[in-house]
Amino acid sequence: MNRNVRTIVKIAIIIAGTIICGALAYFISSAAFGHSLATASNNMAYTNWQEKFSTLVIFTGAVTGICSLAWFILSRWVFEITSSTGGGRRIIWAILAVISLAGSIAVPQIYSASAGIKVNVLVMAVFVIFFTGIGYWLLSIITTPAAFKYTPVGARLIRARK
Amino acid sequence: MSYYFISIGGSGAKTLEALTHLCAAGAMPSRGDLNILAVDPDSGNGNLERSSTTLNNFAPVQNLGVGNDTPLFKTKISIIEPFPWKPVEVDMTLDDLMGYHLQGNNPLGSLYEVLYTQKERGTRLNEGFRGHPSIGAAVLAKKSIPREFLDKILGDANSGNEVKIFLAGSVFGGTGAAGIPTISRLLRNELIEKSDKVSIGGVLILPYFSFVASQDNRDLFARSENFHTNTKAALKYYAQKDNVFNAMYFVGDSQRANVKNFSVGASSQRNDAHIVEFYSALAALDFFAQPVTQTHEFKCISRSDSDNFSWMDFPTLTESVNEQKSEFELQKRFVQFARFIFAYIRFVKPVLKDLLDGKRSEYQYPWFVDYFSGAGIKNTDIKNFEDYAEAFVLWLKQLETLERREVSLIKSSMFAANPAQILHPDEFKSCDGSKTDLTLHEVWYRLSENVSFDSSVSGFGRFLRRLYDACKV
Repeated sequence: MNRNVRTIVKIAIIIAGTIICGALAYFISSAAFGHSLATASNNMAYTNWQEKFSTLVIFTGAVTGICSLAWFILSRWVFEITSSTGGGRRIIWAILAVISLAGSIAVPQIYSASAGIKVNVLVMAVFVIFFTGIGYWLLSIITTPAAFKYTPVGARLIRARK
Repeated sequence: MSYYFISIGGSGAKTLEALTHLCAAGAMPSRGDLNILAVDPDSGNGNLERSSTTLNNFAPVQNLGVGNDTPLFKTKISIIEPFPWKPVEVDMTLDDLMGYHLQGNNPLGSLYEVLYTQKERGTRLNEGFRGHPSIGAAVLAKKSIPREFLDKILGDANSGNEVKIFLAGSVFGGTGAAGIPTISRLLRNELIEKSDKVSIGGVLILPYFSFVASQDNRDLFARSENFHTNTKAALKYYAQKDNVFNAMYFVGDSQRANVKNFSVGASSQRNDAHIVEFYSALAALDFFAQPVTQTHEFKCISRSDSDNFSWMDFPTLTESVNEQKSEFELQKRFVQFARFIFAYIRFVKPVLKDLLDGKRSEYQYPWFVDYFSGAGIKNTDIKNFEDYAEAFVLWLKQLETLERREVSLIKSSMFAANPAQILHPDEFKSCDGSKTDLTLHEVWYRLSENVSFDSSVSGFGRFLRRLYDACKV
């Protein structure tokens, strides 16, 4: 597989991975907490809650998806290494991780308040696990281009070859 | 095929330096060993010292496990002892060697007095033959080729190998001018029964530099104003006498480079590298690539621009891979090697020690994690390679900054030597004047990609092999 094909595959993995993470976060949260949260949201109908919750999942997923894609684009096309000190860029990766984490926590808080639905800390935990944990961290480990492949924390455990 | 290279005198030693770098770059015609003999009565000669330093740096590097399917380090160089072979013992004069005190009063002694001045007879030969081939010829004629060297050649010839012997030296100085005809004749006499298996070639280096000797120097020494006369006499000799060479190459330069620091000899005689020596080393490669039973050919090499040396001026070279002959472009192979050295100097050398000492974060350097971490790489291997890389860059820089000539092999503005460094990283991709997409970043990227090698690739050699491959356009 040449590098261009690999790039396309990786972008597809990021997009597909984010969608799958969003779907899992949606179904797990709905199934586990949906009914009680719909009741807590002024006895809102479950289907009505699900509709608003799905929009919340899309927004949160978009934030982490953008972060994952941004890291990939930066490490694939923007960062250039021309000296021995040009590698790594972990600070950029970490900033995007913090944005993704903040998105997983803040977007539900802000959106739920404006849409009039309740979410609890467990939903946010699911979001953090699926969006920041899998959607950003794991996907960045898998898809980061070779030049920065060990920059994501823990990448060496998964990608280092012996 | 077995290859033998005999460097004679200072110019021969400098040709040896160029040949060592070309061997490292994989420009030899096959994977056979190259055996080196250096002949110089002045063992402390700076030019020879430099060549032997380069050889000694390269010797351990060539044994790194870079694999058998790459041109990189494909030729194994063996140094024949004694290195150098000194035909004259310490503090000896010509009188001592000729036994003048024994025959001073007989006709032979009188003839000897006519042929040599008192200064020539009485000067100690620790610093060589001082530009006087007549001294060298007399000394060398009384010597025999080191037995170990001859035995090795005979061993190769007896085991059915074809043997190619190449001599390099100047015709305008002392040691080379005396050594080339004398040593080639001695060799031919010793190997007369193996003449179907052994061929002898040589490069006769014509004048290409000049110098101004200090006025107050009363010693016997070479004078550049005599170079033309010496050359004329030497060429006349080769034209008139039945010489023993199967192939001869003549290389010189009408534009003489000025030697900055004149020296009679010893360690202070250390001249910058010159394109003529590069051509002389290429002559050796051309000779090594020809079959032993070659018919007589007369070749002439030309240049597209009289004042500029560029890759266009060099012919394609021949190599044997799995007993199949093929041609390759010297430019591609040499430039890939140069890029490999520069990429190492740029990316690896500045941080490797810190990484090995745990003073830097490894995650920033995927190549370190993949090729060094836990691989048990020896510091001595790294040091030997880095010393060699420094020597290569210094040699290349001198080649590129030739006085009165423009040499356009690798852009000299891109790099500095001593210590080696890249000054303009953006010039890396077009360092040989051709347009490529091979930036330093691209090399880093390739270096970080997963690649598998066979079992012959190991240790530090595995990393060097990957870096070399990453520098291919």
